[in-house]
Amino acid sequence: MQSFFQTLVSGLSFGAVYALVALGFSLVYRTMGLVNFAHGAVLMIGAYVASTFYLSARLPFAVAVPAAMIVTGAVGLVIERVLRPLENKDFDLMLIGTIGAGTVLDAVAILIWSSSGRGVPSPVQTAPFDIGGVRIPAYNVLVIGVTAAAMAVLTLFLQRTRHGAAMQAVAMDHEAATAVGIHVGRSNAISFAIGAALAALAGALVGPMLYVTPTMGDSLGIQGFAAAILGGFGSIPGAIVGGLGIGVIGSFAAQSFQGYSDLVTFVVFTVLVMIRPTGIFGERTVNRA
Amino acid sequence: MSRRPRYRLVSAAAAAAAALVAAACSAPGSSQPSSGSTSSGAAAGPIKIAVVDAQSGSESDLGQFEWRGVKLAVDQANAAGGIDGRKIQLTLYDDQGDPTVGTELARKIASAGDIAMFGTAESAVTLAMAPILESEHIPNITSGQSTQLLALHSPYLFLNGPTGLTYDSTLAKYLVTTKGYKKIAMLTNNDSYGAGEDEAFTASLKSLGITPVATEVVPADQTNMTPALTAIRAKNPQVLFIGAEEAQSGLIVKQARALGMTAVIAEGAPAGTPLYMSTAGVANANGTIVSSPYLGNDVSPAARKFAAAYTAAYGTAPELHGAKAYDGAEVMIAALKACNACTGLALANAIRAVHYAGLLGNFRYNSSGVGIFATSIGIITDGKIKPAG
Amino acid sequence: MSRLWSLWSPGRARAGGLVVLAVAAWLLPYRLNIYWISVADTAILFALLAVGMGLVMGIAGQVNLAQIAFFGVGAYATAILTTRDGFGFWTAGALAMLAAVIAGLVVGLPALRIQSHYLGIVTLGLAVAFIDWITNAPITGGDSGISGIPTPPLFGIDLASQYLYYYLELIVFAGGLAFGLFIVRTPLGRRMRAMRDDPLAASAVGVEIRMLRMAAFVLASVYGGAAGVLYAGLVHYIAPETFSIADMFLLLAMVIIGGRQSLAGCVIGAIGLTVVQQELINLAAYAQLGYGLVVVAVVVFAPAGLVGIPGRAAAWYRRWRGHTGRAAALEPFRPLPAAPPSPGSAGGALLEVAGLVMRFRGVTAIDDVSLTVREGEILGIVGPNGSGKTTLFNVISGLYRPTAGTVSLGGRVISGAGPHRICQLGVARTFQHLRLFGNLTVADNMLVPLDRTRTWWSWRYIGWPPGVWRHDRELKWRAASLLGCFGLAQFAGLLPGSLPYGIQRRLELARAMASSPRLLLLDEPAAGLNGEERSQLAAIVRSIRDSGVTVVLIEHNMGLVMSLCERVIVLDSGTVIAEGVPAQVARDPAVLEAYLGKSALPAPHATEASP
Repeated sequence: MQSFFQTLVSGLSFGAVYALVALGFSLVYRTMGLVNFAHGAVLMIGAYVASTFYLSARLPFAVAVPAAMIVTGAVGLVIERVLRPLENKDFDLMLIGTIGAGTVLDAVAILIWSSSGRGVPSPVQTAPFDIGGVRIPAYNVLVIGVTAAAMAVLTLFLQRTRHGAAMQAVAMDHEAATAVGIHVGRSNAISFAIGAALAALAGALVGPMLYVTPTMGDSLGIQGFAAAILGGFGSIPGAIVGGLGIGVIGSFAAQSFQGYSDLVTFVVFTVLVMIRPTGIFGERTVNRA
Repeated sequence: MSRRPRYRLVSAAAAAAAALVAAACSAPGSSQPSSGSTSSGAAAGPIKIAVVDAQSGSESDLGQFEWRGVKLAVDQANAAGGIDGRKIQLTLYDDQGDPTVGTELARKIASAGDIAMFGTAESAVTLAMAPILESEHIPNITSGQSTQLLALHSPYLFLNGPTGLTYDSTLAKYLVTTKGYKKIAMLTNNDSYGAGEDEAFTASLKSLGITPVATEVVPADQTNMTPALTAIRAKNPQVLFIGAEEAQSGLIVKQARALGMTAVIAEGAPAGTPLYMSTAGVANANGTIVSSPYLGNDVSPAARKFAAAYTAAYGTAPELHGAKAYDGAEVMIAALKACNACTGLALANAIRAVHYAGLLGNFRYNSSGVGIFATSIGIITDGKIKPAG
Repeated sequence: MSRLWSLWSPGRARAGGLVVLAVAAWLLPYRLNIYWISVADTAILFALLAVGMGLVMGIAGQVNLAQIAFFGVGAYATAILTTRDGFGFWTAGALAMLAAVIAGLVVGLPALRIQSHYLGIVTLGLAVAFIDWITNAPITGGDSGISGIPTPPLFGIDLASQYLYYYLELIVFAGGLAFGLFIVRTPLGRRMRAMRDDPLAASAVGVEIRMLRMAAFVLASVYGGAAGVLYAGLVHYIAPETFSIADMFLLLAMVIIGGRQSLAGCVIGAIGLTVVQQELINLAAYAQLGYGLVVVAVVVFAPAGLVGIPGRAAAWYRRWRGHTGRAAALEPFRPLPAAPPSPGSAGGALLEVAGLVMRFRGVTAIDDVSLTVREGEILGIVGPNGSGKTTLFNVISGLYRPTAGTVSLGGRVISGAGPHRICQLGVARTFQHLRLFGNLTVADNMLVPLDRTRTWWSWRYIGWPPGVWRHDRELKWRAASLLGCFGLAQFAGLLPGSLPYGIQRRLELARAMASSPRLLLLDEPAAGLNGEERSQLAAIVRSIRDSGVTVVLIEHNMGLVMSLCERVIVLDSGTVIAEGVPAQVARDPAVLEAYLGKSALPAPHATEASP
């Protein structure tokens, strides 16, 4: 039983990270109708930048993470600007454009930081909580808390602020949004930047839990994407539920299927998507004629 | 193709027929001399040797270590006058950890005139290159330790260290016979190194009458081993044997301790490296039982000398992989000296004939290409490896 | 100058170029050393993979990130069957191709339900699952792979030589490329391209979308599997690293950079990038940076890829030099042959709509509509915006499944059938917002609906290619004559996007007629047309009716409705509020109220209270 709960707790901790990744995916998708295949690479850049600020520049962790989010958000702005001519015109080409952008980011990371990875010491040095033999590192609790806070802030932003409303308007009908004076390009840029910042947050937070390598974004990106689709692309609660779901499934699959855990996760995910493509919470998406 | 009118079809067919006739006269490539079979006609030129390793990708650390070890030995030899006055010229090739690239590189170094090869540090790539190197008569000294390399029975393939079975049987003997541990768990990854360790250590334990209380396998690129460790923790082992590369091993230890596991860690070569210690954290790494032919830079005067030279050249201290590569290069240099810079099968035989006292031990190659047959046991204490009593 | 130009023609230049290429390719090994011939061998395999990618992504428009898995299935199946089970190489290869086809069917299954980004992530996930399996399964040797794969035996030719293996690969590749080009330029490829450009319109002109998607994936898997079999026989050793996601993205880059919609582009991209990769082999990270940047640049600035650049450059040059060419002109419409009056059915009901209800998540677009369309009539459907007219068309043509009620054509219930099925039964339509196939020429737009064969007819591609060729020629003849009827002959080789709006409208009408319908649904055919075009349209519609086709049209232009339609049905808020001859309906108070509002009507008591 203890083993079961330990696995569950581990799954939830990583699930929170997947939820953050899924949030970023969903936000960009919800406002631009764009699936961003560069999201994993952006996450990895965020992890490297945060760890560089934390380890080399010796900034406090609580400062390194937002700084990394800002830098990575800027990277997101650049990607959006470059791909802007394709917005609302050819989604398949834009998808491929993001794959290209992801490749570029991967190469840049290797050139700057080399292919060997780096460990990041946990910023929270307190002893893990021990509940009936189930050990929960304090840092994991922090990650879950930050994820919850991010979800709340994002929801508030989208529903209560003008920029957030503008982003949703663009999602529903970009031509009508232009007609009421919303600058679609700028709105999309903000959306992309926030999505990138969320990815960076996920990467920065997950660094101390794992190991920062140039390929870390690949599997985290795919898991996050799966989480976003599972929960319902474009839905914020869906991203959370999907993220935690994928995290827990992956954790138990790793125990039962060991080396085959990736395979199991993906077969399950493929079957689920085929049964219900809109995910658990349904797809709230762009209007695509 | 029937779009074109008839006469174009006929002319195309005629052209094709002409080409076929030309081809039948002499197959292409038949006039290409395969290097290695020609004697070194350019007697005054440098001796060209290739170093093939992953310089990019996840295995690039090992590739770097191997390159540095080889280069140090070669630089020292060149500074001392080379081989009969001829310098050794090293060329580094990046195999990116990909066997397909490896096979292409095997042909490339053959056509470039390299007479021997060091590398790779990755068994899968070495396995792919071996048949080509054999047909091109290019001796290869590799850092790989997989027993599958021996199954190739290539007279041109040599290992610069012990096989995985040697590492693991020595370790198993120490754990079971000397220390009396009975409850041993295993955690390995699924790449060729980890799979080899899984097989070798299980067999070693079995020969001592022990069955592991738990065996878990994780993907090689996995960074979250908590689920597997949770399953192992439930079995309360005294010892956890790890079969994974340096960084992943360190992560395993770190996460095991975070789960409250107090089992002793036991491992082969990767645990003897600084990367393992830095990833695990010194506090977690202390107490690890290491099976390695090179326990550290202080174990002998030769090691100290080597370490000093290495640090002077590269600014960092060496470890096992660099030492292995250095020894392998020294063996090659000794062989070249003995046979006057010969090539091909003659060079391979010369390597086999070398008796060399190296950092890892006394090299004496058998017909399978293995030159070292023993490792030592060390225990990490205060961040350094001390030989076990 | 013009004399010399007259000797040159695109066809001759292409043929001549092909011959030169073929001879050059045959003689290439004589010029290459042992390293470069092995690079050439690898390049040809990637070119074969790229052709498969081009067919499924560029021609059929399906996102396929699992191509590397097909490659792996072919290679591993060959390796396992030869080393473990002792099969001969060619037998193992044939079985491996079968395994690849099965893999293609499995990967194609999700494509039946999902598209675009979903399909991308699912195919990527399946590829990851495959890689995971080959890394772990004992039967595949795990990470260490399988070695000792035998050389394929071939009449005593020593295929262990990389040089001679090149010829084997070259022949397979040439055959594969020829077959691919054959598909692209004939009905199957045309349907795939139509599906790529607009799946909705394609299904409305009779294309069986699901079967085509599956066929596309199977095609991709055949090319992938073939490349895998050849790879196993070339390198004699396979390991999971060869089939990584990084290589998948490299393959994708090859196809995008070369030009995914052109098979030649895919080949150029594959060979070019393989050579570049070899040249930069010690600068792997820089190479990756390079091709990533080029992919982004191509996608934004030159979506047609490298092969599209000469065309664009030539067009730019022509514009710069002021060669505008002679503009194609619209020719007069030639009335269609009138149909002989068929006994008995004239005036009978062709289409019956009974109790139709269409609801979308709380919005009732059609609320209990019943109507009859009589054979041979021109029926008009009018109503204010949002009254459900286009929704009605969408239900009749099969785009929507009705919430309740039925639609019957000639006594046979068609509601609930898919659009392509309904098209085959004789219903054709145009769309409110033009839905032409943008990347197909005008002639190709016509050729797709003219082909009335089912998808399974395509077995002839493998079984009896001359039959396909003959069928294609016949279709082209009929397309030319139909284009001539509609006055569009001069536009045959142009893309619809370059045509004036009125001509695009006429093209859509001609395309609808190409499927030989019994019932033609026109959704606002006069929208955006000027007075002259409208009267031409009226003449065309009458001629269509006289040729035996029943016409139903939605229109807002009352003048056209009055003059053209024999009967009019008025919809408002999803219900029929009036029905009858135009003059009668125009005076109907309910109709006036719907269009103009209550306040515009004269007060009901005014006429009675006259002194």
